[in-house]
Amino acid sequence: MEALLVPSLAKVERIIQETPDVRTYRLKFKDDSLMEKFSWHPGQFVEFSLLGSGECTFCISSSVTRKGYFDCSIKKAGIVTADIHTDLEEGDDVGIRGPYGNWFPTDDIKGKNLLFVGGGIGLAPLRSLIQYAIDNRSDYKDFTILYGARTSADLCYKEEIEEWKKNTGIRVVLTIDKPEDTWKENVGVVPKILEEVVKPEIANTKVITCGPPIMIKYTLQSLDRLGFSPEHVITTLEMKMQCGLGKCGRCNIGSTYICKDGPVFTYAQLKALPDEF
Amino acid sequence: MSFSTFVTDTAGLQKMFEAIISKHETYAPVEKFGKFDYKKVSSLKECNPDSPIDATMSVKPLFFPRASKIIKYEASSAGTSIHETDEDPIAGKRVILGVKHCDARGLQVLEAVNKWDYIDSDFLKRRANTVIFSTRCDKADTQCFCTSLDYDVENLDAMDVAIINGPDGRIYLCARTEKGENFLTQNPAPGSRNPEPIAQEEMKKQYETFAASFRLKMDYKDVNEKMSKRFDSPAFEEASRNCVSCNTCAFICPTCHCFKISDEKIRDTGLRYKSYDSCNNAYFTLEAGGHNPRPAKYRRWRQRSMHKFVYYKERFGVNLCVGCGHCAISCPVNISIFEVVNHVANAPVES
Repeated sequence: MEALLVPSLAKVERIIQETPDVRTYRLKFKDDSLMEKFSWHPGQFVEFSLLGSGECTFCISSSVTRKGYFDCSIKKAGIVTADIHTDLEEGDDVGIRGPYGNWFPTDDIKGKNLLFVGGGIGLAPLRSLIQYAIDNRSDYKDFTILYGARTSADLCYKEEIEEWKKNTGIRVVLTIDKPEDTWKENVGVVPKILEEVVKPEIANTKVITCGPPIMIKYTLQSLDRLGFSPEHVITTLEMKMQCGLGKCGRCNIGSTYICKDGPVFTYAQLKALPDEF
Repeated sequence: MSFSTFVTDTAGLQKMFEAIISKHETYAPVEKFGKFDYKKVSSLKECNPDSPIDATMSVKPLFFPRASKIIKYEASSAGTSIHETDEDPIAGKRVILGVKHCDARGLQVLEAVNKWDYIDSDFLKRRANTVIFSTRCDKADTQCFCTSLDYDVENLDAMDVAIINGPDGRIYLCARTEKGENFLTQNPAPGSRNPEPIAQEEMKKQYETFAASFRLKMDYKDVNEKMSKRFDSPAFEEASRNCVSCNTCAFICPTCHCFKISDEKIRDTGLRYKSYDSCNNAYFTLEAGGHNPRPAKYRRWRQRSMHKFVYYKERFGVNLCVGCGHCAISCPVNISIFEVVNHVANAPVES
């Protein structure tokens, strides 16, 4: 009996190939009443299992305001994610536990300008909040979405980004690391574009950022230089987790459980943690 | 509430143990190839619950099993099905004899992590269903330092019944919890109930003799405080250099509780189970993308010792070490957590 660790079955409704190594899996619990009851906040995660291969932690990359399904966007990186990419097909079943963890402070950021800064697969947790904020548009002021990837092929959610651009009050700035023949948008790493192109308004703005560790490191420095206070910069950590419940000890940093106290933290909170992420 | 005390002698104690074993599902330390581990017993001949045992195994696996099934699953053309396994070999009412004080304290310490936020009802149910009798510890083993830590070794309420050697040569059975009280009332020990109070002065002297037998002593408050200021100390590297990362220390520790979840698949059926893991494992924090926040051994030792002496205390108010010495005794390269934390605590502070 390990009641806390028993997953529920969900069916893969659709698989969207986002980039050469990222796929979005659209999921629906097999038990309709469970799907009906399933509710989450932007930034929360699930324990996703390919039975026989293993269980992994993924954020839910869609918003609860889009009913009847939830998305996990999965990059092929390790053993289980490679199995997921190879073996999992539409119509197959996976195990799901959750939702777990804290979430982006959807209430605290009401009435603010939102600056999203994402890199690569790091747009996945931000997408949940972007969809949520679009679906509650009147609660928030202007959005700026700065999103970068190594190449144009590595940008996730390409069609959806085009939809975002059509919204009034949403500015989308895209960038890739090196020039490409048909690329008409920005070239350069995210922190550079943030300072040189986006030049964000600081007053009444909350920054929500997620991306690879190196991008986060330099983005935080840029935000510092631009004058953002660490309390207004929010990020989400992607530590190795296993139980998701504050028991297995894997994601501890100091006395903090990233799976329970996080994964969402302000930059000010991160600064107070031992340097172990 | 005040609890009863019974008084008996060695023969009376043996008789009571026999009666318990015949009436209840009973576990006790059983020797096998020179190693003691807690096993179900059917006769007193199989075990020796009346003397402090060699510190080889803790009682933890009877509450937090070394491996427990989470689900069985089957894949077929009709789809996948998940079966919860309701088998729990240690779910019923039971008695455990011969538990050392430190080991019982370990369970008390573990309760904190198992009942905050998400409640691990399996762990709590196992504890609630168990009556724990302590053993008669009368002197320290070479690696023991329980008397140095943040709990009252003398009046520990982590066991349900404490068995204490009286200064008068008699044996006192002291109920320490309501469960212990009820158990002793329903399973009366031979001898008299509520005897003359044990002479406090005499008991104190006896405890002092016990405490004096300890080779290892530390000022844990001082260690807690000093360690919290030495996160960046090179002393962690010095103290852990010999470690071979075998994780034996964690697996036999009464308080280590890190675990992993694994899938074992044979053709179309599989099993998912929970089993022990340790923060000393190099892959423990390794992320799929290749990033590892604790890539070096000293960082993992820092996590292990800081978790025991700083972090758990910050979070739950108690040290995650009970001073049992199991880890030091079983370590193949002779590292002792006592020496590690003292070495770090007394190292210069990095500016």
